[in-house]
Amino acid sequence: MISKRFVIKRLLLLVPVLFGVATFVFAILHLAPGDPARVIAGQRASEEFVRQVRTELGLNDPIWVQYGRFLLEAVQLEFGNSYQIQKGTPVKQILRYKLPVTLEMALYGQFLGILFGIPVGLLGAIKQDAISDHVTRIGALAGISVPIYWSGPLLILLFAQVLGWFPASGRIASTFDINPITGVITFDTLVRGNFAAFESAAMHLFLPAAVIGIYSMALISRMMRSSMLEVIRQDYMRTARAKGQGSKITILKHGFRNALIPVVTVIGIQFGTLLGGAVLTETVFGIAGIGTLLVSAIQVGDYPVVQGTVLMFAGLFTLVNLLVDVTYSYLDPRIEQ
Amino acid sequence: MSTETQTEDVGQRGIVERLRASPFLSELLSNRLAVAGLTIIFAMVAIALYSRLFVDLGSVTQSQIGTNPNLAPPSWLSKKTAITGEYGTFAYPFGTDIQSRDIFSRVLYGTWLAMKYGTITVGASTLLGVGLGILAAYYGDITDNVIMRTMDVLLAFPSLLLALALVAIFGTGLWKVVIALTLVYTPRFARVVRGAALKVLEDEYIEATEALGAKDPRVIVRHILPNCLAPITVQSTLNFGLAIIDLAALSFLGFGAEAGTPSWGLMLSNGVKNGLLTGDWWWSFFPGLFLAITVLGFNLLGDGMRDALDPRMRETVD
Repeated sequence: MISKRFVIKRLLLLVPVLFGVATFVFAILHLAPGDPARVIAGQRASEEFVRQVRTELGLNDPIWVQYGRFLLEAVQLEFGNSYQIQKGTPVKQILRYKLPVTLEMALYGQFLGILFGIPVGLLGAIKQDAISDHVTRIGALAGISVPIYWSGPLLILLFAQVLGWFPASGRIASTFDINPITGVITFDTLVRGNFAAFESAAMHLFLPAAVIGIYSMALISRMMRSSMLEVIRQDYMRTARAKGQGSKITILKHGFRNALIPVVTVIGIQFGTLLGGAVLTETVFGIAGIGTLLVSAIQVGDYPVVQGTVLMFAGLFTLVNLLVDVTYSYLDPRIEQ
Repeated sequence: MSTETQTEDVGQRGIVERLRASPFLSELLSNRLAVAGLTIIFAMVAIALYSRLFVDLGSVTQSQIGTNPNLAPPSWLSKKTAITGEYGTFAYPFGTDIQSRDIFSRVLYGTWLAMKYGTITVGASTLLGVGLGILAAYYGDITDNVIMRTMDVLLAFPSLLLALALVAIFGTGLWKVVIALTLVYTPRFARVVRGAALKVLEDEYIEATEALGAKDPRVIVRHILPNCLAPITVQSTLNFGLAIIDLAALSFLGFGAEAGTPSWGLMLSNGVKNGLLTGDWWWSFFPGLFLAITVLGFNLLGDGMRDALDPRMRETVD
């Protein structure tokens, strides 16, 4: 049972945090070097024109008026129009088609990580200090020590360059022209019934998902192992064994479910980190998601895009953390106290 | 845990004796993985110091076209090429890049840069975080709320994203990246330290010290700080690896080291962008290898420290 009181309390705690986040994002535009009006008008524009643009943007209003307007618009996810990257296009619309790209990649990666991470961690805990345990522990530690911008190129080198099994970059072969419906390419191609395009999209997704998966598998298996080890030592586990239950049944029936609780937390937190890491994964694999969007927006000084992207990331991150907390309280009702 | 009880009764004894008596240290040194981590770190520090003193910065920064072979693979791999004939098998153990610079020397010098900027980042965020965390715990109320709510806001961003947003404000360059990452890591230290300090504050001897007339700074420095050292050390060690990864990541994205600097992130970036699809794998392979090994060293040590502090995880069950 999810307690209503807990969820409401947790939501109320979010308000000051989100308020602070929005304030920080508002500050980016005003603290960053360069004059936004000059960026839009162009370097050669006349002083008069720049002044006109500044008035249009409302940059001449008192700072608190601008702040109030920003908060009102941010609630509606409006961040104005892009200065440079897609000049004149509302940031909201740009994000609408870039966000699914990033989420799709992260979700497939996370799925791979969960699929392999949980059994590996479980095995390590059951056979603690066996050779397989040591190997997977060191492997997992190596997994979190290798940055995505090195493991990515290594996979590209092996699977794309040497073996030629998977394409090195992009989302789909250039011969396909898929009009986005949702922006989730493996979904769109299937809905349109274009199976050849689906196959191409899936092949393109494999390497980025694998890189993310390796990292997330390392983290998840570590947490699964240590959490299971802790549970195995609990009194109720000893009781179950003393009752004459086989130790394998005890572990799976009583231990696994309880050990899963902290793992859920790690999966949630990990997903947030993945969103941040998307900046790197997308750069390595040449995927046009919100990660690469943010990087180029910072490079050219397209601040509405920077603001929109950063707020979007922070919002998603906060949402995931909220979901983790609520799931946690569902799995372990004691957490509320 | 064990160190806490230890420091209480050791009292005025010297630091060396305290360390020798510490079950934490002997526990740590009996952990093979932690010792491996320590060895890696010592080796990297040695390489860093060596390259700072003996590698000529000019030769690894400026173009060496004309002096060295261009984009040559590691010399010990190519048996019959012109390179080995002219220069010997170990002339360019990691090959050369597009500006004919020796990648081996560049990677060595990169070790110095990673260690230097990593130490500064982690050191600064440790100091800031420890200060804020202890203040929040000790003074409570409004101080606590203002500090910790600000930390919550910073923690509401994925770390790399916050670093990028700060870079958008500060501008690019290695030092600015260091400042950005310092701010990114500070909340983690503040949280850990606040938690540890609150636990210490519950102890009766703090009350006794205050009753004896000790002033705030004395209580904080003599009593609270020493008892928070264990979690601070673990957090710093684990964070060191992360700092090296993130510093290189920002250079990789083009916001950190300026062109020509032999930083691992920048070498990786150039190698991946220009060398990977043309088959010049060594360009990005070796900087990444050094980076990964260094980070592994810190993670091994940090993990070992955590295990040594938490003895519950050691005993095996059937």
